Amino acid sequence: MSHTPVLELSDISKSYSDRQVLSGLSYSLAAGEYVAIMGDSGVGKSTLLNLIAGLDSPDSGEIKIDSKILPVEDEAATILRRKYLGFIFQAFHVLPHLTLLQNVSLPLLLNHLSLDRAPAMLAAVGLQGREQDFPHQLSGGELQRVAIARALVHRPRLILADEPTGNLDQDTSREILQLIRSEIKANQASAIIVTHSRLAAETADRILVLDRHGLTPISLENRK
Amino acid sequence: MRYLWILLGWLIFQSSLLSAPPVLAPVVPGKIFEFPDDHGAHPDFRIEWWYVTGWLETPTGDPLGFQVTFFRLTTQTDRDNPSHFAPHQLIIAHAALSDPAIGRLQHDQRIARSGFNLAYARTGNADVKLDDWTFLRTADGDYQTNIKADDFTMKLSFTPSQPLMLQGENGFSRKGPKTAQASYYYSEPHLQVNGTISRQGKDMSVTGTAWLDREWSSEYLDPDAAGWDWVSANLNDGSALMAFQIRGKDGSKIWAYAALRDASGRVQFFTPEQVSFHPVRTWRSTHTQAVYPVATRIRTDKIEWQITPLMDDQELDSRDSTRAVYWEGAITLTRDGKPAGRGYMELTGYVQPLTM
Amino acid sequence: MSPPLLTRWLLQGEWRSHRLQSIVAVLAIMFGVALGFTIHLINTAAVSEFSAATRSLSGTSDLTVRALRSTFDETLYPMLSQHEGVARANPVLEITVGIPAKAKAVHNPVLKILGLDMFRAISITPDLLGVPAEDKPMDMLADDAVFLSPAAMEWLAVKQGDSITVSMGTEQITLRVAGGLARAHAGQRIAVMDIGAAQWRFDQIGQLSRIELKLQQGVNHTAFREMLGKELGASYLLTESQDDDTRAHNMSRAYRVNLNILALVALFTGAFLIFSSQVLSTIRRRSQLALLRVLGMTRRQLLRQLLLESGLLGVLGSLLGLALGYLLAAMALRHLGADLGAGFFPGLEPQLHFDPLAAIFYFLLGTGVTVLGSLLPAWEAAHTHPAPALKSGSEYTVLAALRAPRLAAVCLLTGIIFAGLPPVYDLPVFGYLAIVLLLIGSMAALPYLCGLLFSTLLRALNPSKSNILYMLAVTRLSNASGLAAIALGGVLVSFSLMVAMAIMVTSFRVSVDNWLAQVLPADLYLHPIIHQDMRGLTTDEQQTITSLPDIARIDFIRSIPVTLDPTRPNITLLARPIDRNDPGLIVPLTENALSPGEISPDTVPIWVSEAMVDLYGFKIGKQVTLPFADPSQLFIVAGVWRDYGRIFGAIQMELSDYRKLTGDDHVSDAALWIKPGATIHTAISALKALPFGDTLEIMETGRVRAVALKQFDRSFAVTYLLELVAIGVGLMGVAASFSAQTLTRIREFGMLRHIGLSRRQIQRMLTLEGGLLAGFGIITGFLLGTGISLILIFIVNPQSFHWTMQLYVPWAWLVLMALAVLGAATLTASVASRRAASGNVIRAVREDW
Repeated sequence: MSHTPVLELSDISKSYSDRQVLSGLSYSLAAGEYVAIMGDSGVGKSTLLNLIAGLDSPDSGEIKIDSKILPVEDEAATILRRKYLGFIFQAFHVLPHLTLLQNVSLPLLLNHLSLDRAPAMLAAVGLQGREQDFPHQLSGGELQRVAIARALVHRPRLILADEPTGNLDQDTSREILQLIRSEIKANQASAIIVTHSRLAAETADRILVLDRHGLTPISLENRK
Repeated sequence: MRYLWILLGWLIFQSSLLSAPPVLAPVVPGKIFEFPDDHGAHPDFRIEWWYVTGWLETPTGDPLGFQVTFFRLTTQTDRDNPSHFAPHQLIIAHAALSDPAIGRLQHDQRIARSGFNLAYARTGNADVKLDDWTFLRTADGDYQTNIKADDFTMKLSFTPSQPLMLQGENGFSRKGPKTAQASYYYSEPHLQVNGTISRQGKDMSVTGTAWLDREWSSEYLDPDAAGWDWVSANLNDGSALMAFQIRGKDGSKIWAYAALRDASGRVQFFTPEQVSFHPVRTWRSTHTQAVYPVATRIRTDKIEWQITPLMDDQELDSRDSTRAVYWEGAITLTRDGKPAGRGYMELTGYVQPLTM
Repeated sequence: MSPPLLTRWLLQGEWRSHRLQSIVAVLAIMFGVALGFTIHLINTAAVSEFSAATRSLSGTSDLTVRALRSTFDETLYPMLSQHEGVARANPVLEITVGIPAKAKAVHNPVLKILGLDMFRAISITPDLLGVPAEDKPMDMLADDAVFLSPAAMEWLAVKQGDSITVSMGTEQITLRVAGGLARAHAGQRIAVMDIGAAQWRFDQIGQLSRIELKLQQGVNHTAFREMLGKELGASYLLTESQDDDTRAHNMSRAYRVNLNILALVALFTGAFLIFSSQVLSTIRRRSQLALLRVLGMTRRQLLRQLLLESGLLGVLGSLLGLALGYLLAAMALRHLGADLGAGFFPGLEPQLHFDPLAAIFYFLLGTGVTVLGSLLPAWEAAHTHPAPALKSGSEYTVLAALRAPRLAAVCLLTGIIFAGLPPVYDLPVFGYLAIVLLLIGSMAALPYLCGLLFSTLLRALNPSKSNILYMLAVTRLSNASGLAAIALGGVLVSFSLMVAMAIMVTSFRVSVDNWLAQVLPADLYLHPIIHQDMRGLTTDEQQTITSLPDIARIDFIRSIPVTLDPTRPNITLLARPIDRNDPGLIVPLTENALSPGEISPDTVPIWVSEAMVDLYGFKIGKQVTLPFADPSQLFIVAGVWRDYGRIFGAIQMELSDYRKLTGDDHVSDAALWIKPGATIHTAISALKALPFGDTLEIMETGRVRAVALKQFDRSFAVTYLLELVAIGVGLMGVAASFSAQTLTRIREFGMLRHIGLSRRQIQRMLTLEGGLLAGFGIITGFLLGTGISLILIFIVNPQSFHWTMQLYVPWAWLVLMALAVLGAATLTASVASRRAASGNVIRAVREDW
């Protein structure tokens, strides 16, 4: 396992029409690390994720993924994103007209990789034998399993998960969180999970709180 | 004796349901020829021609055969039709050159209905015109012809050096066993030729000797006839020979005739039995596959004539226009083995099937 | 470059989910391409057939000499034949005869007989030589023999050896069919006979129709033509084969261009449907497309994917359109004829030829238009920020891009200016551009207008008293006017075109009907079996008819074709009794004619149709020479009249003037008024009982009118068909966009259900929305359609057909159609909304319908 950081944020600032969302944020995420980011609504968690994903660009500062500077230009950012990042969303975002297998295969196709890993990933998230099903035949938990498989199928260095259990009940959430963690570890990926949920945050190696001072590590005991 | 005999055939077969069909004059023995009127056209007869053949010599001394023919045909169309376009009379003309340097005939033909002064055959004296092709007898008895063919032009004048030669019985020439099968026929041998021939833009003065045939008739060939062989020759000693035979469909001789006039004007006539044609060598045309007896031996009673063509390919193939295919060309001949003179030979009816 | 497999999966997914929308789009493109291609094929077939047929008549000639009148003296023939520079001259006498045996079954059964000199024709038109029976070669010259082209033999149902009877005026001539032609142009109905026989049998002694010239090698054609033209003077025309082509082209140009424009309009409608369906589809898939972007699809890949999607629809639609177009063309040629019933190319049977270049053109046009239609929504989808797009409710930002009031204003204004511009090359190019600009401008203005109307409505509403459903519907239409406008576009385009065509056709038809009443004042009309018969009726025959007891008044009319310009179709000269003091009694004048005092005594008055003014500049008061008068005579244009019958131009003059000038005392037609007390029936019987009675075509005025109107309706059959197609496509567009929209609003409905609206209420609300929207579309469409119809009536028609007409609006029909469209749109909205309100739609894979 390499010890170079997977993600380096140096002095990131971002504001939207007079409202300063992030200012001078710096952080470094080590390889294999799995962190949860918590914080109040509107504090900039989603903005931070968008910046890391290259879907938005910072007003100042620099983001490095796997030691590579995240470019501002959309095409280059897109190519970097699809190779190094995996995403898990609250609303699952599974394409309704593709089969589960096709959904999971999307990142492989976009990265010009062999499709062999897709069925294995589906099996790993407990959906073996359902490759040809369509999303509407699945429950919420199952949909998120598909999303997890899709996020990891192309062996990204970093997983970004935005409230991955926000739409799920508690039992399913627990199951899914276990799955996310175990799969991330199994794939030797790093992960940032943005959540309000303690349950979710507890599965991370470390928990960070985002506020206007930046990212501050805490232990759950402290917050109690 | 000319190929248009066959045209007569199809003219006569026409159904005649017309209100005013033309009345045609018959050919009967005993006609007294009157000149210059008889040099001119005889529109009352169905068919008529002015036919000149001969040998020319180029400035370089090379021999050249030539043929210029004008036909006049009376059709069966209704005489009541007042249209100037009514095709009561047709004028047809052929011209050909036989040049051994070229090895085949250069020839051209024209056909038109007479009218509008564009085409005519006048009465009174020889005066025939077909667009820019003309044949004319001048007041002093010379003939002048002007031919503008596709490949060549000819401007020739012919000066008589001997009297006319009436064929058959004082110009009544039989063509078959029936007396109705006959024509009025006279010739003018030993015409002295002067003029210009131009090919590919190059003019060339020529001199030579020619033979004029004049014939008109209303009747047709024997139904069994397939074709004929005909020869005319200006002999070196000033005499003139004309001989023909009409062949039946089985190749047999239906009729034959020959006349030999010596330089003093004494004419010897031969009966059909005395005249015979014997092929010596044949030539197969690559154009039509027809086989022609281009070298022939002719017997006129005791005399044997040997015919040799100036060149083999003197076939005239005009199937795409007037549909006639025949062999007509310059020949030399020997009399009993000795060179005797030069002339022209015509061989018709050798293409099978004959479609005219 | 996105991997092909991904491309395919996404395409399959889209097809799986939106079959109907895709099918509608494909159908729209298909109809547009099919119509354009059909019209092109038919017209190319007709024109090339016409040119080839004309060319086969002049063979390999370099120059054709003809007189402006139909025949001239034959002495020109030997003159030209011996003219310097001329190699060959081929005299031709062309006779147009009637076929009595066909008179009952066929209107105007014409056969063209060429009198040829075979010995001259052989070098110039060898294809036209007769082929006699093997044993009858002299039939070529026989004066009772005629040779028929295969098409003529088939038409007359005769073979070699049969005889045919042809008519010229009241005379009948029987000819023997002696054989076929060497190589007649396929489908061309002609006969050939000896020129001498033709002059005699058809009483044309001394006359020729034309002389074909072959020039000698090396002669400069242009210089020769110019020189000979000077030599022969103005009464002769010299033409080359390209003149004939131009003439054929000019013959149907206006008609063809108009049909082509209609096809383009259909294609335009198709493009709009594609546009609206792509806009809705990208809006609906907004979060999916954003996901693809997040997962790593680049902008370019996404744009390509979306363009490929519509491109495929375009390719499919275009291919189907080409096939359908070919089929339609084949059917139309078979059943309607080469001119779709308009009567420009009689006696020809054009063969359909697949034209690969044209096929490629229409294919590219269809595909291009489709891709263009989806370019804007695809561009927007690819360039939007994926992160916000992943969230729901961001659809409305898209639609802001569609609001373009400035573009609308520019388009509408330019359109109005264009409507006032003159024609280009005899074609109303600017008129059509004006129509297109009005359409585009109106469509661009739609979101604005829609918002304006419904927000006004909303302000007028009293929230406490109004029906909640009505309020919800109006609120939505007011606030989401962009989306509403998209649904509306299809209705607007198709309804406005329908209104425009309906007003135009009605105005035209009523004008024609009024005109017919004016130009057909008599009780009876008669003419020999064919129109413009060369011989017509002799003075004796005229006398015989005049002396019939039941006739109160009779006007004899001489009608002859005259060529004024070799590159234009013939004009018609009509000589008839006209009262100089009151020409309006006979001639349907459009404006005041010159009074007899204004006509100088050394000029002869003529009254010309509107086309003569446009095409030849024969303005009122102008002094002109006309070629048929010999010696040449000065004429004065004394009036202009309306003529819906002869679009290439017509001139009327007094019969007495005509006779004085030409010495031709035959007539072609007669108009008869019956004495009071006599019946039309007995008059007809008396006419039929004349010695030449059975050679006359006698028609009651009512029947003439009925036949003319039938012909009119026939030529507009295609237009009616196009209207129906446009309406159908428009309605399909409404259906597709409505169902797609209701699906994008599923969350909204869920919310409404939660706050207490029943399913039925949601459905009613949607139906109301649909009705309001359609009503708005219909009103706008009506206004736009009326505008377009004004352009069609007052600009396009006069400029392309050279006639004017009065405006007549078919109110009842329009109201009926408006109600039908309103009903259909409301029904569509209702059906589409039932699904949306049913609730289980959330789980349906197939989102639409």
